[in-house]
Amino acid sequence: MADAATAVAATEMTVEMIKASQLGMKALGAGLAVGLTGIATGIAEMAIGSAAVGATAENKDVFGLVLLLTVIPETIVIFGLVVSLLLLF
Amino acid sequence: MTEVKAGPVPYIYVCTRMRVRKSKLIPREEYLRMLNMGLSEITRFVEETQYKKEIDELATAFHGIDLIEIALSWNLAKEYQSIQKITPGTLKDLTRAYLRRWDIQNILTIIRGKLHGERPGKIKEVLVPAGELDKAFLDRMIEEPSPERIIESLKGKAEYPLLSRLFEGGVREELLPKAENELYKQFYADLIAMARSGIKGGRQFLDYLTLDIDITNIRNMFRYRADQSGDDIMNVAIPGGTISPQMMQRLLQIRDRNEFIDALVPLMKTRVLRELLETLREEKSIREIEIDLIKVQIAEMETMSKLHPFSIHPILAYLEMKKYEIFNLRALARGKESNLPPDRIRGYLVI
Repeated sequence: MADAATAVAATEMTVEMIKASQLGMKALGAGLAVGLTGIATGIAEMAIGSAAVGATAENKDVFGLVLLLTVIPETIVIFGLVVSLLLLF
Repeated sequence: MTEVKAGPVPYIYVCTRMRVRKSKLIPREEYLRMLNMGLSEITRFVEETQYKKEIDELATAFHGIDLIEIALSWNLAKEYQSIQKITPGTLKDLTRAYLRRWDIQNILTIIRGKLHGERPGKIKEVLVPAGELDKAFLDRMIEEPSPERIIESLKGKAEYPLLSRLFEGGVREELLPKAENELYKQFYADLIAMARSGIKGGRQFLDYLTLDIDITNIRNMFRYRADQSGDDIMNVAIPGGTISPQMMQRLLQIRDRNEFIDALVPLMKTRVLRELLETLREEKSIREIEIDLIKVQIAEMETMSKLHPFSIHPILAYLEMKKYEIFNLRALARGKESNLPPDRIRGYLVI
């Protein structure tokens, strides 16, 4: 019985440990926020980018416009970045 | 295979290019303006559009109607070849298969030219090397001394087995219509087999083929009705559409126009075709009917390309629209050359 009580006491978390764990979770959340939105942006830009290259190949005058359209999904990753910054600071 | 593994990206790329090219085609208003121009003005106008390069290249060797006609054919061939180069994966196979119809046209033109003793230069002027048989191959075919040798030169091509069987006893003029019918039947049968083979995008291709065969069969039925020659429709009826050749034969037994349309309309699955057939109750010339059918086909292909934006449909829609732009410009130039009044020429335009 005495051995079991010693084992439970050893696994009890200290305040420092909890704080460190929370910090770790925050960092993980921040990383996921940027990473997942980055992937989503990539998927969205894949279709727009290929269409943009196709349109530019036929008509070079539309380059400026299609470049603008291609970067619109960048807003998704910017939202992710904002969320991660809010989490971290 | 790398293109297929790249996911939808190459499809989006090429379909967007086709849409941009489609937007560059000559609009209806320009055709109406051209109706009031002379032949030299039309040539100048055409030169200012995407046909500039061809007109400039050929201007030293040809002039007038010949210049326009040859420049248009060259442009069409060049355009079709370039599309084959940029289409990815299975879309390339489907586009190539669709463009084989130009091979059939070129082979028959060369054989006809040879039978009539036309000089090679003249035959070359009317060819459109847009299919599998490229310019160099067609040049070699033209240089062959006899029609039999022309057929021999096709050994290994899809058309060879049928042509060699049909012309076993020598190439004769009266066998050519039969050869033409059989080649097109085989062409459509091959395309249907390809579309049903499980190839990616085959279903959409099959939709187009059904529409194309339906339009061709309806046109042939109206031609037969107008012609009254008593020939068997089975010679030209193409299997694989909504109406079977046997059904076409039965429908042609109906003499009354209204009754004929009454029997035909319920067989059609496409709404636009049903609507068009209703308008054909009033007496129209066969040329007007043909133009109406082409318009319906193009409109339906446009709808299909919107329903399946990254499939074979946008490519096919552009290829067809480009073909009819060439037909229109040719009709305009020929009409002006023959001094036809604008209203008469307009009747030949698909706008």
